[in-house]
Amino acid sequence: MKISITAILFMTFFFVFPSLAQHGEHEHNHNHEGQVAEPSAASNDTGNAACEDTINIKVSGLVCDFCARSLEKVFLKRGDVGGIKVDLGKGSIVVAMKPGLTIDDATITKLIADSGYNVSAIHRGCEHG
Amino acid sequence: MKLTVFTLCCVILMGYAPQSLSRPVSYPGGWTVMQKNDKNAHSLHVHYSPTAKYSIGYRTEYWRGEEWQFHGAQLNYLVKRHNAATSQANFYLKGGLGIAYGDLGVPDGEAQPAAFADIALDWETRRYFTSYENRVYYAEDIAKFFRQKARVGIAPYIGDYGDIHTWLMLQVDHITGERDNISFTPFVRFFKNEYLAEVGISDKGGILFNLIIRF
Repeated sequence: MKISITAILFMTFFFVFPSLAQHGEHEHNHNHEGQVAEPSAASNDTGNAACEDTINIKVSGLVCDFCARSLEKVFLKRGDVGGIKVDLGKGSIVVAMKPGLTIDDATITKLIADSGYNVSAIHRGCEHG
Repeated sequence: MKLTVFTLCCVILMGYAPQSLSRPVSYPGGWTVMQKNDKNAHSLHVHYSPTAKYSIGYRTEYWRGEEWQFHGAQLNYLVKRHNAATSQANFYLKGGLGIAYGDLGVPDGEAQPAAFADIALDWETRRYFTSYENRVYYAEDIAKFFRQKARVGIAPYIGDYGDIHTWLMLQVDHITGERDNISFTPFVRFFKNEYLAEVGISDKGGILFNLIIRF
């Protein structure tokens, strides 16, 4: 009986909070299969993406949280982007690509411009630490 | 005299201030809802941005004192945006075309063509905000006037991305016509994620309440 109740509670919990369920799945993949988990598409989250699958973009004009939401909207519409993290303090964003996928610099520049900003620099992979 | 005082205030405010959170142009495919209220009027503007340069949408306004309302289409155009390392500045042109209904001076329920034109400037950093906007209204026998407003603001703390952000702001409003006056409205702006709200009260006792949601 207790097991049934616990199972129902768990199912309800993961149904109501799918993002948490997704997070749990990431941890499972990472811990038990030794694979790099696919980054979450949740806002301001690059998940557990390995650094080689990330792009660090220095963005000018990045001063407003409310306006910077456009970066998430624009990048997360793409199927090849797993997650995005905005850092207003550094004036940069980190884009986590899905494993094996990438975006060329010209497309990044256009996406940033569509979001209302300008690109100052693009660093790929682990070079930005 | 009032115009001189207002202009002086604007110059001072523009000199000190910085940030435009209520961008009238969003990202391609983005929708924005703006609902604003002050002692003069209530307005609703819903716009869609096909590109990052312009947006189109529906606007309605109700002016309480004169009891007239506007319904029409509005075009917002980003003329120039300057992105610097720690600041952003914008220059917009806006225009609206539609119809106005008024209860005073014209037969009840009679619609008349109406239009407005608008210039908006802003500059912002993470700490400071300043903006200036003016608008000319024309609605045949119902209303003809000029309105301008300037805003300055300061963030008492610098929040990270995703935090609740708070701004302490002051709006100076000048309107011509029968209402001819200058008002000062201190208000607080809050925003988190895609939601922004402003609450304040003017020196004339009018309540300011604005809400902006971006999709």
